[in-house]
Amino acid sequence: MRGTLAARAAIAAVAALLPAAIAGAEVRAPAPLPPYAQAYEPTTVDERGLWMEVDEVERKLRDSRFVIKDQKLVDYVQGVLCRTVGDDRCRAVRIYVVRDTAFNASMAPNGMMVVHSGLLLRVKDEAELGSVLGHEFGHFELRHSLNGFKQRRTASDVMTWLAILAPNTGGALATGIAGSAFAFSRGQEQDADMLGLSYLAASPYPSASAANVWERLMAEQDATAAGRKRKAQHRYSAGFFASHPTELTRATYLREAAARAPDPGDAAQAAYRATMAAFLPDFLDDQIKLNDFGGTEYLLNQLAGDQWTPQLLYARGELYRQRGNPRDLVSAAQFYQEAIAKGYAGAEAQRGLGLSLMRSQQVEQGRAALQEYLKLKPDAADASLISTLVAN
Amino acid sequence: MAGKIAGALIAGMLVAAAPAMAGNSLVAPGSKVQVAKSGMSIRSDGEWNKLGRRLGPNTETWTIDGDELNDVTFYGGIADGLPIFREVDKKNRPLPRVSSTMLVTDIPTLFETSYRIAYDTPLMKIDTVEPTSFAGGKGVRFTYSFTRPNEELHRKGEARAAVVGGKLFLITYEAPTLHYFDKTLPAFRQLADSAAF
Repeated sequence: MRGTLAARAAIAAVAALLPAAIAGAEVRAPAPLPPYAQAYEPTTVDERGLWMEVDEVERKLRDSRFVIKDQKLVDYVQGVLCRTVGDDRCRAVRIYVVRDTAFNASMAPNGMMVVHSGLLLRVKDEAELGSVLGHEFGHFELRHSLNGFKQRRTASDVMTWLAILAPNTGGALATGIAGSAFAFSRGQEQDADMLGLSYLAASPYPSASAANVWERLMAEQDATAAGRKRKAQHRYSAGFFASHPTELTRATYLREAAARAPDPGDAAQAAYRATMAAFLPDFLDDQIKLNDFGGTEYLLNQLAGDQWTPQLLYARGELYRQRGNPRDLVSAAQFYQEAIAKGYAGAEAQRGLGLSLMRSQQVEQGRAALQEYLKLKPDAADASLISTLVAN
Repeated sequence: MAGKIAGALIAGMLVAAAPAMAGNSLVAPGSKVQVAKSGMSIRSDGEWNKLGRRLGPNTETWTIDGDELNDVTFYGGIADGLPIFREVDKKNRPLPRVSSTMLVTDIPTLFETSYRIAYDTPLMKIDTVEPTSFAGGKGVRFTYSFTRPNEELHRKGEARAAVVGGKLFLITYEAPTLHYFDKTLPAFRQLADSAAF
């Protein structure tokens, strides 16, 4: 969206309000949303420069192979954003869903929003997605990039250029360059969190969803660390140089603020699941191939809740088969069998089952499953290779 | 005097810099050479450049126009429990390991996962797999394609592999889809066909 704040006084007022809410002031009604102006044009030299840079990033991103070019998915994500922040605000936002397994989303000052597939895989319903998108939109609406840019420019031109020129270290995208230039301060993160919460409170979604996301992210990071035999690295207070509040602090103040202004609402889980069903196999495949057993196992358990769908069982089989310890292969075979028993439609479950059994030296049963795979999918890309295994 | 000292310094720096580049050498046509510190030998019909830089202890890279444009890498017997190339961040981005009990179908998956993690890209996939003979034994031939982050260049690859005596032997060829892949493909296939133990 090109529209940001018309009056700077209003930003100051809102920015001043939000920390008060965090500090524990009584919040009866959601904080008033900032005023809004359509087709905003950058005004100062700093802002114009910033826009020029991100316009260029957006031009490159638009044609990138990493962008998932599925208009239905983009429309759906845009719909969630619109229901969260309001129709007038969201309309001019351009959303790009990129294939990147990281839990992340970002928004540039010119109204370009980047949503990673790793985020779509991890949130459970529209409300949780809305809370993250609303947070990013909060940065945009409060013009944090510009403020940070100006501040850094004043502090040191060299540092600013280093930030812009720094090679992309984290993400898999050209936007990483923009990401490093537009890193926000801890105070800005907190302001965006609270503004995001105000959007959520004014939306049809329940405000409590915002804290859920951070709590699960912490648990997943712990699971990853445990799976790699490392110590969990959660800090209970942010370090002096940390740009984000710790996930624990975040979850706590979001939970408290949501409790003070309770709004039940419908998180729209069924609609979210229905839309993501078509993309889930690809997103899960990308996640499994990260070689992160602990984190992925936690994630699959979270997605399943108390109901393991055939698709999730198949994914779990793939995860265990990939790690490939003798006990993993036994578990993997069971997961494939359960998936098939529950009606998994794809032939690849038979393939996974056959290969797990073959590696567990149960050659006869393995061969039978692989033959079933070839029968179901005679023109499979690996049919000739699988045939040699069956023949042996 | 000052000029001589500066000259000596520059000469010293050149000598110091030389070992890093000295590893590159020419592979003459018709020569039969042992590759990747292994028992695998290759006979080349054309000229290749052998790079001094290695991806890992048991690898060797050859190129004609530069390794960004055409890259043939030999992986000579990666043992059980080792990754196929050197790990960049073992703690946070560990690579999958070779297992001596791997099935032939697990080789392309191991390669795909290693590339996804090492290049930090989800845009890496195995396109085709089929059985083949490799250095006189049974093996797998597969093709793949990938795009590295921050670089929209689409690359294609072709590989042949086998597990021999519990160790993974692999020869890969990759190049940008545009022009280079097709240009060097016949030369690669000649190398791969010549592999012997």
